[in-house]
Amino acid sequence: MSDLDAYRAKARAWLESMAPKYGRAARRGMTEEQELALGREFQAIKYEAGYAGINWPVEIGGQGLTHLHKVAYDTEEMRFGMPTVFFGISLGMPVPILIRYGMGENKEHFAWVKERVIKALRGEEIWCQLFSEPAGGSDLAGLRTRAEPEGNGWKMNGQKVWTSWAHYSDYGVIVVRTDPTVEKHKGLTYFWVDMRAKGVDVRPIKLAGGDSHVNEVFFDDVRLEDSQRMSPVGGGFGVALTTLMIERYIATDSGGFGPHLDVFVDLMKGLEINGQPALKDGRVRQQIARNHAMRAGLDSITARAFAMMQAGMEPGPEGSLQKLVAVRSRQKLSELALDLRGNLAFDFDPHAHVKEDWGTSWLNAPTGRIAGGSDEVLLNTIAERVLGLPQDHRPDKGVPFNQIPA
Amino acid sequence: MSILYDEGQQAIATESRRVLDARVSKDRLLKLLEQVGEHDQPFWDTAVEQGWTALAIPEEHGGLGLGLIELGLVAVATGAATAGAPFLSFSYGAAQALLGSGHADLAATWLPKLASGEAIGTVAFAEGSAALPPRPATTYAGGKLSGTKPAVVGALKADFAVVWASHEGRPALVLADLASAARTPVSGFDNSRLYADLAFDGTPATLLADGDAAVALARDVLGRMAVVTAHEQVGGADALLHIARDYAVTRRAFGQLIGAFQSIKHRIAEMYGVVEIARANCIHAASREGQADFLLAAADARISATEAYDTASRDCVQIHGGIGVTWEQGLHLHMRRARSLAIELGNLYFWEDLLVEQLTGEAA
Repeated sequence: MSDLDAYRAKARAWLESMAPKYGRAARRGMTEEQELALGREFQAIKYEAGYAGINWPVEIGGQGLTHLHKVAYDTEEMRFGMPTVFFGISLGMPVPILIRYGMGENKEHFAWVKERVIKALRGEEIWCQLFSEPAGGSDLAGLRTRAEPEGNGWKMNGQKVWTSWAHYSDYGVIVVRTDPTVEKHKGLTYFWVDMRAKGVDVRPIKLAGGDSHVNEVFFDDVRLEDSQRMSPVGGGFGVALTTLMIERYIATDSGGFGPHLDVFVDLMKGLEINGQPALKDGRVRQQIARNHAMRAGLDSITARAFAMMQAGMEPGPEGSLQKLVAVRSRQKLSELALDLRGNLAFDFDPHAHVKEDWGTSWLNAPTGRIAGGSDEVLLNTIAERVLGLPQDHRPDKGVPFNQIPA
Repeated sequence: MSILYDEGQQAIATESRRVLDARVSKDRLLKLLEQVGEHDQPFWDTAVEQGWTALAIPEEHGGLGLGLIELGLVAVATGAATAGAPFLSFSYGAAQALLGSGHADLAATWLPKLASGEAIGTVAFAEGSAALPPRPATTYAGGKLSGTKPAVVGALKADFAVVWASHEGRPALVLADLASAARTPVSGFDNSRLYADLAFDGTPATLLADGDAAVALARDVLGRMAVVTAHEQVGGADALLHIARDYAVTRRAFGQLIGAFQSIKHRIAEMYGVVEIARANCIHAASREGQADFLLAAADARISATEAYDTASRDCVQIHGGIGVTWEQGLHLHMRRARSLAIELGNLYFWEDLLVEQLTGEAA
């Protein structure tokens, strides 16, 4: 057994011991607030057990292990459905960026950053990522929230949207426009912001599936110190891109973060079509086979990427297919699973878990196809970055932001 | 689970591609389309010279003792080249049937000749529209084979065939020397596949396996051939992906490269997706040779590779517009090959049913 296999086995055993109290089954029927409280408790225990900040430097509060150890742990944790969703973004992007860009030129903010990191790892504080805006989602550099110099700091005004967990967040990282007279990408600057500061107003958005984990966030004359700046003035877009690319290979799910195919097969085992077992129906068999072939391919891509990383090689770009392919498949399979249940499918529980329930999986699937890079943006990325195809026609290219045709 | 290719395997991949790039001629392949009974002899000479015929034959029978992974890598290259002969995968299937049957004398007779390229074998399982009919009409009794197998791949040049037949009311696999079988050429859309109807009329044959053992062996042989063919399909699809890409960054319309239009670039990106999913399944399936989940992995590879090659041949032609449908441009070589490979080892319905049976235990 390799070191990594041993680590993984140990993590699995630890997770098994935690599952009765914190696992998905133990949380059935809880409100989001109850889940958050339990999640914070689990996160603290996880930190004590050495499974938080796995691949972060020891001196900042991490475990100093490799990226592979982290992927191995995350893959195991995903199986148990632990209540870590509230911390996924916080620890996935803003906090690593804080470690990288928030220390100050001479590490003068080291102690403060370390305190934040440990509190975030323990689930005591949560960070959000304030990127998308009404005028800039896929087109991130089209954002309009602005910060103007004020004294030795800045004054910020504007609006962000789709900010996950902002209503529970203590801090956020944010990209804003500091110069509208230059090209759109060049006039942006990156800050961190205290979400409890005067002038910050968080308003939850109820999504189609019924839950409210995303928010609108309004900024009205919010004061930022210059020490909160995490990029050069005008250099915010680069840090924003780094934030989005910080972990190219994360734990993936060929089920598109919906139910796995065995859940579909189990459902089919209990159904009949035209008086025959559903599993005898050629149309059902075709769907099972096509989805299996596709998901098995994604799993093999993941396994190969993992093996390459273990061998010290850079995994191929095919990993970028995962979300694009898996979530589309989840959406269609969820529709089919509901349809095949007939009238029985109308009984709907909006709180059922998306990995176990076809109703919530179906209703929340569109979010998966839009958040974190829409299907269309992902296709463009593959076309341009992997295959070397030209960029789209861009009327905003080379034009100062304030002169882009509306 | 998956594997990374080692240095030797990577060398097989690059060398086979290099040799075929240098020696395969599109003009020659186009001519072969209109000739019945001819294959691309320079390609086959290359395959023999390069030792590809010997790759997956055990060393004790004069082969190199390698396996599906290595043969698969060669198949990626032959697929990219729309190679003009079907013998690599079909001789491999015949060899695997002999090895799986446990007939040491037959293996000792034929395998060295297959390894050296001196003999060619094929596999004749299908009847009517069925890839592996539960009750084949071709019958074997008292050492003699009778019946007809339609459009058998490679049959015009093969020396022997492994035939799916009925024996005392049960399925059986038998080996028939084709010297005494009647071959009627089939004029088709991909003539270098050398299709012929095989008629057996009391033809001498040897029983390889019968009953459940024959079913298991036939499925294993089909699975192995399907994995080789899936690699070939991935090779073809990947070639088309790159042809489409290269055209999209050359051809201009409406004042820009057509590759800047999302209708084109997204089509090509989707092509990349189906190709890489199929490739990953192929690599995995080849590494599962001889394991309990091999047929499941083979079905995953076969289904995704058929989808990839079909998608790529449809969309690559579409992206080319008018020039894509000309004889001379030759994309139809891939379009034809995608179709013949999609059918030869059982169509998608066959493999979908087999996959679900492997996954759930429920037969169609």
